[in-house]
Amino acid sequence: MSPSLNPSDIAKPSNCLCHIEPGELSPLPAPYEDFNQVTIPPLNPEKTGNIETSLDDTIAIGIPKPASKEEEEALILLFLTGLKKLFEKENNWTFLQPLLLSMEHCAKCQTCSNACPVYEMSGRKDIHRPMFRAEVLRRIYNKYLKPGGKITAKLTGDIDLNWKTIARLAELSYRCTLCRRCATVCPIGVDNGLITHEIRKLFSQEMGIAPKELHEKGSVQHLRVGSSTGMNPLAAKDSVEFIQEEMEEITGYKVEIPWDVEGADILLIHNAGEILSWPENVGAFAIIFQAAGVSWTLSSETTGYDAVNYGLWYDDVQFARVAVKHADIARRLKVKKIVVGECGHAHKALTVTADRLLTGDLNIPRESAMVTLEDIVLNGKLQFDPRRNDFPVTLHDPCNVVRAMGIVEPQRRILRKIAPRFREMTPHGVENYCCGGGSGFAIMSGYNFAEWRNLVSSRKKFLQILNAFQGEPQETPKYVCAPCSNCKGAIRDIINYYHAEERSRLYYGGLVELIVNAMTDMKKPIIRFGDEPSWKS
Amino acid sequence: MGFYMLSYLCIFVSILATASLIYRQLTLPVHVRWELYPVQHETAARAAYGGSYLEEINWWEKKQKRSLFNELRYMLPEILFLRGLWKENRILWWSSFPFHFGLYLMIALFGLLLLHALVILWSDDPVTSGGAMRSLLNGLIVTAGWTGLILGNIGSLGLLYKRWTDPELRNYSSFSDYFNILFILLFFFSALAAALFTDPLLEGAKAYTFGLLTGGVPLNAYAPGQSISGGVAIVSASLLVAYIPLTHMSHMFMKYFLYHRVKWDDAPNRQGGRIEAAIMENLELKPTWKAKHVEADGQKSWRDIASSAPKEGK
Repeated sequence: MSPSLNPSDIAKPSNCLCHIEPGELSPLPAPYEDFNQVTIPPLNPEKTGNIETSLDDTIAIGIPKPASKEEEEALILLFLTGLKKLFEKENNWTFLQPLLLSMEHCAKCQTCSNACPVYEMSGRKDIHRPMFRAEVLRRIYNKYLKPGGKITAKLTGDIDLNWKTIARLAELSYRCTLCRRCATVCPIGVDNGLITHEIRKLFSQEMGIAPKELHEKGSVQHLRVGSSTGMNPLAAKDSVEFIQEEMEEITGYKVEIPWDVEGADILLIHNAGEILSWPENVGAFAIIFQAAGVSWTLSSETTGYDAVNYGLWYDDVQFARVAVKHADIARRLKVKKIVVGECGHAHKALTVTADRLLTGDLNIPRESAMVTLEDIVLNGKLQFDPRRNDFPVTLHDPCNVVRAMGIVEPQRRILRKIAPRFREMTPHGVENYCCGGGSGFAIMSGYNFAEWRNLVSSRKKFLQILNAFQGEPQETPKYVCAPCSNCKGAIRDIINYYHAEERSRLYYGGLVELIVNAMTDMKKPIIRFGDEPSWKS
Repeated sequence: MGFYMLSYLCIFVSILATASLIYRQLTLPVHVRWELYPVQHETAARAAYGGSYLEEINWWEKKQKRSLFNELRYMLPEILFLRGLWKENRILWWSSFPFHFGLYLMIALFGLLLLHALVILWSDDPVTSGGAMRSLLNGLIVTAGWTGLILGNIGSLGLLYKRWTDPELRNYSSFSDYFNILFILLFFFSALAAALFTDPLLEGAKAYTFGLLTGGVPLNAYAPGQSISGGVAIVSASLLVAYIPLTHMSHMFMKYFLYHRVKWDDAPNRQGGRIEAAIMENLELKPTWKAKHVEADGQKSWRDIASSAPKEGK
């Protein structure tokens, strides 16, 4: 057991502030007990020689150590300048009020800790308490930026500011999935997820420090090349053309996927990860829209065929650039509305958060695909045979769709109609647990971060999934419906990591695949469990 | 007169601090939406499971239905009985509820004492008139006072014990966290001692409040210092009134902003509306973030930056 830590310990000299020993993680049930002694594999010293690794057993960002004392001091000063900017309206009008309110009113009651799946699954390590990193920031702010802070710090909570403090705080801001479950249970309304978001922003916008997967390979590539996947418009069109052909082969249904149709009712924007990793999701959307007679289009313009907006997780400037680009593409296509595909953070980014960014003719109406699909499925626009989905199905709720937007029931009404063996996870809806891949974790895999995610941040979701299917025979294939690309990525990884396909016959996919699988128009099933089709044609 | 001067000064500081806190909140720029569901002013059906108006097809064509009744139905038990804490942190609730309810009863008591003083001031004969009203007020004052003081003492001691003995809380507690509870306990304890040993009907509190309205001069004004515990209660209560808005304990009323301006702020931005006008102002602000990819030079506005692509990767 590691000794207990308090926020001021973040500054103390140590090579590893928090280590997880084998057996400390929350136990898994049969047939996964062999993972109970597994812990995060040690970092390879050859690869981390010059990288700051003193927080815990993993690395999310990979911050180089300063080369000299002077550089260290310059970085500390830069951090303080950035911190000051978080509290200025010119620099942070976007979140100033929520930040001030959360910084000033925490009663340190720890109610948030029990709601946090990372804290619980980590074996209740102090650094994973939602208020730990918030309290570190609060103490630095109070001591170094408030008048008389160095004196009052002795009374309100002291902290030393050195390079270790800063580097660890940066890393620590990437041990929280920003699921904001902690904020829903706070009796006062304090949002430690928001404070984590602001810490990430300070590092990115002032110091240029962010995980490569989110920044260089993420939002920068998205704006430059067209997609965070690296696909340019030509590659995207080629891939979708291939999907079009595949769909006919898989389902026996011929589908045409429209591009750049001016004046279409709907501009559908997918997470481009679907095009590469889950092409059947893109194809299933096309089948549903075509069969229902919807007027729709995709955009082949740079950024317009990828709904992701990684800026939501770490950088307001990058967030604003992508959101404006999405809206501008829709404006020029003269569509009536944008429909966001199965991507949770894109839902929140474009529909909710960007709502107070887009003005005038950029304020194009935006809608969740869950709602559009419900209108199609429940209003008799398609014919279904629910017996085709005669296997156990559970629904994973993406945090950004349920807790951040209140879109809870449309997807359930669909499932109740087309999936007779649908059952809920416990808890679900706005009380759901994150998949563990939230806030960018699903696409971050440098060093040993993927192992940390599978073992710690996704562990609660894995337990929930196993519980949802409790009582089902091992040999029965089971479907986890995850209407979000990042969540699907995280769930795919836990299924692989824990060999859950072999041991529990767990499979995963989106909502549209289930819809298409039950459509009477389909000659063959779109869902397969390994080599086994989900129904006989 | 020193007691009265102290009370006036503390009330003045409290009003000033509270007004300044509220004014700052009201003048902060409109921020991006960051609501969290369930949002309790939704329709009852949706609020029950955390749904929103965004669940409706073409939601922007429909009038948003909001229910003040649903909001109140949620907020009243939340404020009065700390329902959230009961659900999420039951062990702490057993101390936190009596502590908070004790404070609420003290606020209610002060309101009743003021009313009592006003009744006296408006009566022709301050000693005998307004019989039924006076009797009712006297009953309410004694009930609220005694209940509040007992609960407040239990709650303060409970919170102090919990913060001191529970490593989860102790590791994160600073001197000021203990000081705040001890300060409140000092008031509750001294006031209870005064009531218990010298003034069970709270006649001193009535007279002192009367004196607050009259500058401490007239007939019924209480001459403080008749008991040590009474004097300590007056001083600590006065200081607390000034102190609370200066600390995180202002959450007692700032919770309104945490909920209504952030957690439940789901108002959509409509073209030509008030929110859009505020956003347009915000977009003209000029950031100075230093990371190269931001490309802020102090001259470019948020609008300029948001409509450009970064040239630099970092």
